[in-house]
Amino acid sequence: MNTALFVIYGVLLLGVTGVAEYRGWSWSRINQQRVLPKSIRDNPGAYRSSYGGYSRYIGGK
Amino acid sequence: MPAVQAKSISCPNCGGPVALRGFAHTLSVVCPQCMTVLDASTPEVQILQTFQGKTRTQPTIPLGSRGKIGDTQFEVIGFQIRQVDSGEDTYQWDEYLLFNPYRGFRYLTEYNGHWNFVNVESALPEPSRSAGKLAMRFGGKTYLSFDSMTASTVYVLGEFPWRVSVGDSIACQDFVAPPSMLSSESTSGEITWSRAEYMPGSQIWQTFKLPGSPPPAYGIFANQPSPYGGSVGSAWRTWLWLNVALAGLAFLFMIISPGHVAFSDHYAYSQNVRSDAAFVTPTFQLDGRDSNVDLSIHTDLENNWAYFSFALINDQTGQTFDFAREVSYYHDSDGSEGSRNNSVIIPSVPSGQYYLRVEPEMAAGSPDVRYELELRRNVPNYGFFGLAALLLLIPPVLTTFRKGSFEAARWRESDYAPSSSSSGGDD
Repeated sequence: MNTALFVIYGVLLLGVTGVAEYRGWSWSRINQQRVLPKSIRDNPGAYRSSYGGYSRYIGGK
Repeated sequence: MPAVQAKSISCPNCGGPVALRGFAHTLSVVCPQCMTVLDASTPEVQILQTFQGKTRTQPTIPLGSRGKIGDTQFEVIGFQIRQVDSGEDTYQWDEYLLFNPYRGFRYLTEYNGHWNFVNVESALPEPSRSAGKLAMRFGGKTYLSFDSMTASTVYVLGEFPWRVSVGDSIACQDFVAPPSMLSSESTSGEITWSRAEYMPGSQIWQTFKLPGSPPPAYGIFANQPSPYGGSVGSAWRTWLWLNVALAGLAFLFMIISPGHVAFSDHYAYSQNVRSDAAFVTPTFQLDGRDSNVDLSIHTDLENNWAYFSFALINDQTGQTFDFAREVSYYHDSDGSEGSRNNSVIIPSVPSGQYYLRVEPEMAAGSPDVRYELELRRNVPNYGFFGLAALLLLIPPVLTTFRKGSFEAARWRESDYAPSSSSSGGDD
């Protein structure tokens, strides 16, 4: 790769990094839901999380 | 060069005309009709050698072709094929004799599409050592020993300033400092040193106005300049400057994204309490541009795990970010595993009034756990900078690797090939 291409690549990379930081991008798995009834605040148990119902091996170390 | 008429003699073998372009410098000439090598040093023109070969070779650059190399116009007056037979491998290269009445003789060599312009030197190089190899110092440059061989002339055409004949044998030794090469040719009691400069085939075609285009060069030649020669240093310098810029960017975001705490509270989870484990926090404000939110969980777990389902909910719009984290921490006399803490970064959260829905889970019979939730707005995500730093490494590492591969391929053809028993080489 010649220097000019490397500079373009580097500047693009820095640009994407800057946008990612500014917009607050993240690697985390986050599930977004657009519509949620206000009643959740009064009855939190009624909400079903996408990640709820966790089951885990509990044999211990 | 003015258009000089070549002198002509008659071949004593076949009677055909033989042109002499090298004037008094020509000591031997090959009859183009019967390929007999003639002694042109005397008016009698005696036969030195008759043609014993089976095939005739047409040189790529026809004899009599003229072309300007540097500021001098040369005429091609002689051609010979030299061959090296190393026992395991036999290879040949072409040599063209160039002549200018004022500048004398030069040579052009060609091997597998690689061309060199050769000038016989009158000064002697100075032997030295470099990089653990025998080397020669000449004209301010150090030439590393590359290979040595015995070459024989297997075909001749045109005229020569020495008594040429098929079967002539010389001992050659090459020293390289790309794009230059220093070569010695030893015959009985005489060593001639010459310096070659690598030339691309396209330049030869242009110089001698040859039809078509040059065949592509095959392999890597001893003094072929590396296409990555200057680019490795340049790539690493560019890498350094880009990293300085990246560090500046990280510093900038450290200032503009301080990560202030938007919400923090302490909680406890007990399986003895019969009520629903899920609860919601008080609302809190997330200000500013669409940006991330970092949620940290700090627990007092001991040899246990806890799982937290979260929902970050916009109180006005109902927009929900649904996520979960597990915290587990185990330790004994052998050491520890896991951590009492965990965190998650929620991306691009718009400003607004939010609350958290939290639903902890633990294994049945687990003791109570206390935990703290801390939510910070607009935190720098240094993972992006780390990734960018890694991706910035690709071009210089790739360039360095390619240069190394190119040089390794060059030296594989030398007497210094790492795992080769061959003493042969190019040229």
